[in-house]
Amino acid sequence: MKISRRNFLKGSATTLFLAGFNFPVLANTDKKKNLVVIMLRGGMDGLCAVPIIGDKNFEKKRKDLILDETIKLNSDFALHPKLKNFYNLWQNNLGAIVHATNIPYTKRSHFDGQNLMETGGHIPYSIKTGWLGRGMKLAELKGEGLALALPMPLLLRGIPSNDNFYPSKKRLPRTELLQLLKSVYADKSEHDLANMMEIIANRSMMNNGAASMSRKNSSLAYKAGLELKKINGPRIAVFEVDGFDTHAAQGGVNGSHSDSLIEMDSIFKSLEKGLGSEIENTLVLTLTEFGRTIKQNGGRGTEHGYGSAIFMAGGLLKKSQVYTDWPGLKRKELFEGRDLNSTIDARSVYASAMSTVFDIDFKRVQKEVFWGDKLQDLSDKLFKI
Amino acid sequence: MKNFYRKVAFGLGPDEKVPSDPLEWAKNQLNDIPEFSWKGKILPEKELRNYYRDYVYGDRKVLRKKFKNDKEGYKREKNKLRHATGQKFWWNLELCIRYSEALKSETPVLAKLWYFWGNHFAISEKDFLAQYTTGAYQREIIRANMDQNFEKMAQEATIGWSMIHHLDNDQNVGPKSQEAQWAREKGKTKGVNENHARELLELHTVSPDCGYTQEDIIQMAYVMSGWRPKWGKKSLETGDVHFNSDAHEPGTKIVLGKKYKRGRKSLSVAITDLVNHPSCRKFIAMKLCRYLITDNPTKEMMEPIIKAWEKSDGFLPEVHKAAIEVAFNYSDKYNKFQNPENWLLQMSKMADVDLIPSPSFMDLYKLGNKPIRDQRALEYLMDELGQHPYLAKQPNGWSDISEDWMSPELLIRRLVYAREAYYKKSGKSQTTEFYEEMIEKNYDNSGEILKIIDQHRELVHKHVILFNLPETLKS
Repeated sequence: MKISRRNFLKGSATTLFLAGFNFPVLANTDKKKNLVVIMLRGGMDGLCAVPIIGDKNFEKKRKDLILDETIKLNSDFALHPKLKNFYNLWQNNLGAIVHATNIPYTKRSHFDGQNLMETGGHIPYSIKTGWLGRGMKLAELKGEGLALALPMPLLLRGIPSNDNFYPSKKRLPRTELLQLLKSVYADKSEHDLANMMEIIANRSMMNNGAASMSRKNSSLAYKAGLELKKINGPRIAVFEVDGFDTHAAQGGVNGSHSDSLIEMDSIFKSLEKGLGSEIENTLVLTLTEFGRTIKQNGGRGTEHGYGSAIFMAGGLLKKSQVYTDWPGLKRKELFEGRDLNSTIDARSVYASAMSTVFDIDFKRVQKEVFWGDKLQDLSDKLFKI
Repeated sequence: MKNFYRKVAFGLGPDEKVPSDPLEWAKNQLNDIPEFSWKGKILPEKELRNYYRDYVYGDRKVLRKKFKNDKEGYKREKNKLRHATGQKFWWNLELCIRYSEALKSETPVLAKLWYFWGNHFAISEKDFLAQYTTGAYQREIIRANMDQNFEKMAQEATIGWSMIHHLDNDQNVGPKSQEAQWAREKGKTKGVNENHARELLELHTVSPDCGYTQEDIIQMAYVMSGWRPKWGKKSLETGDVHFNSDAHEPGTKIVLGKKYKRGRKSLSVAITDLVNHPSCRKFIAMKLCRYLITDNPTKEMMEPIIKAWEKSDGFLPEVHKAAIEVAFNYSDKYNKFQNPENWLLQMSKMADVDLIPSPSFMDLYKLGNKPIRDQRALEYLMDELGQHPYLAKQPNGWSDISEDWMSPELLIRRLVYAREAYYKKSGKSQTTEFYEEMIEKNYDNSGEILKIIDQHRELVHKHVILFNLPETLKS
């Protein structure tokens, strides 16, 4: 069972510690807090999802891609009109955005960029674990990760025994057979395989009705929400949304970039539905490899750029806000004269999120997960602490 | 040593003799490109592209307008159009052709390397390329060039219709070109699209190891500008690829320090330079070792392949032989976790699973109809296993790293589809004797394996265990 003695100990130790110093005992120290990461593959266009209002440079460079009927978020920023579920969250102080942010990668290759967004490193392919996996290891969250995808994302690597869910339509072999394979794997020192077989054997005993499940992100998110809600369920979930690489026909409100944004939006909705009141103890973040050029290209699409935006949702957010140190869109303000600049290292957001959700000191996350790189602690600005 | 047969091919089938010289057996398969062993219909790429054209045109230019206000009618007619153009059928036929090379040909080693190259010059999921033309591209441009120099394959893949369309080079217009000028006069903008240029450098030839810069990519995109399908009112983006000098960037370009003049010839010259760059052969040698031997190839492994490349000017049969020999030399020391497709083919070959529908059955298909379920079995199966070869998620193809294939769900697939496969075997192969012989032939530790599977009485369970043992998962 995952009801952990460790959690119990951690909870009580904190309580004792705090009690000793006569602080008010925090009500939520022993609450299970969840972290969800949605990976947006292909380069999410932060300026399409969260356009700036009334910037002439922007309007000039994107003549054919300007959206009609955007939703106004504040005096400076609007929201893509198709992100209705996110807007709902926003109105309830459950949605926020970090803008003009990116991982510190500027070379515009999807493969290198996606590798780095998952590892959190600087040199593509040099790190074999994901920042989330390393963070979970630091927080001793073995066996508490769930990927809603068929292959296990690099993002979760670094801690063994993660689960994934992407249902097969066929019945599993009998348990005895699974147990035999597990013991063979163990005998042959195939520990990764043995760990996975353990998870599979448990799943086969639970009959979770997987056969009727769809693999759409919206259904997977509902299922994930239900699992995260359980006190002994996973605490981390990872989603994948593809299709943001819109070099051509990116379109306006109904274009191809919108389709991918809508898929992301459906995850917010279903997670909320599955989580119920536990949305209050959950933090959802998006992650992408880079933004897109401000200037539209010849095919009414956009090229690989740099700065983008992070969508955040859940009750662990401080408030609804667009948090940004806006760099501006004049030519000299752009990165290499072409891209929205990144003024906030996206890893600062992720490190602060892990610090908040996993209850670990920010400096430890910074040191152990991100090699002591120069990152800002944004916890008190973005999250409830 | 017996894992060598699984490492470079798919193991030995029940009717195959154990080769007296395994290395020679493997190398002898690499000299020529034999006819396809599939005895049913095989369509040329051009014809399949025409079906794609009919689909795109019919949808975009006819149905969308005709059913502007009738969502249901649109859906119904679009389905008809899908069947009229064989959208659900062709890729299943391609999978039959593809897997016959692994299971029914005399050259399974060539087949395993064909899959490698198809994945190297990957056409990933985009539009409906997979359903119509990706299989044919892999036949006509990849496999057909496996007895040529790497350069020829790179040249043809780069200006192949599939690749040009897949990586958006049809959108790549030189900003100082005539066409960009015309666009400006109309108040529009046309410019460079870097996608194809970047992948040509990064994925297909020199890799980021060679240290190119963003400027090199832009310059390469200028070299490539103008290469695009010939546009026609009916053919839309599906015309043959040609060089349109109106869209080509004028002036001299510099990529990796080399100069290229304006014009049609510059792309081919640039590709010649790229494939002859030392980083290119090193990159390919690394990828071959990674595919066949281990996630982390050593310098010693790559060295003989790089040498063979240098000696033969990148002649693929020689490069392949060198890679196979390295795989042979390391076969006892390294086992490579097999991707789902190679695992399935191993199981099908060794255990005599009837994986591929017969040519006569596939040829019963009539255009305009919905293919019947069994004609679509391979498409479903590959998707379920998590590796449809024509639907890689990104232009870098499916991963060659073991860890990417390890997760509970992916392992569940191997369990449930091993079981499914057992019931697709002929009665004569559903005997204990068959399994004993097959295990003896294909595994070094046959005694140990028999002891493990004997813990279960029913043959189907023995089968499921065997194909999920570490010895099978890793070859």
